[in-house]
Amino acid sequence: MPPSPRHSPTSERSGPQSATDLNPVLTCLVAWLIPGGAHLLHGHARKAAVLGGALLAMFVVGIAAGGRLFPLQGTDILVLLAAVAQWALFLPRVIAGLAGFGAGAVTAASYEYGNTFLIAAGLLNTLVLLDAYDLAAHANRKRSS
Amino acid sequence: MTTHLGMMALFSLLVSVVFATLGRDDPAEQLKFGARLFGALVVGGYLLGWILYGVFGRA
Repeated sequence: MPPSPRHSPTSERSGPQSATDLNPVLTCLVAWLIPGGAHLLHGHARKAAVLGGALLAMFVVGIAAGGRLFPLQGTDILVLLAAVAQWALFLPRVIAGLAGFGAGAVTAASYEYGNTFLIAAGLLNTLVLLDAYDLAAHANRKRSS
Repeated sequence: MTTHLGMMALFSLLVSVVFATLGRDDPAEQLKFGARLFGALVVGGYLLGWILYGVFGRA
């Protein structure tokens, strides 16, 4: 069976369509700041709720499991890569950092699981960001044609 | 949910939800794809765990 066409117009689209909310750069910025926010901006409320919920759940489980919020420092390349991945989920990363979470319980059995959840959540948000960019670009192409 | 298998299942579930939501538009297709992906991740991880145990775990 062929895969369903992506981003076909569906009935779930309900959000506003103005020049600003279809801007790909703004879309990417919103997607980076708030998980699922860009999809909400483009009227995909259900997708936004599912993506935002799943990514936030991953982040919270990662913190609860004793994962560490890695600092952005170049002394260790693996730490730097992990930090970049975690910063891909901007708002939860900032809030957790400011609240004092993510010190990392190295002796906890679930420490590596926590790190895996935190890093994967950020990396998955980059995929969500790319999907949001695709949505904006597609909408722009459709408008200009 | 604090066992290795439980954490792996939870991770697989959340990853499957994201991939299914991004990869398909139709809710029924999303559910089908997500379920298949979840099963593949859990079964694949379980089998890989046993294979690694067989290769490195007996030393």
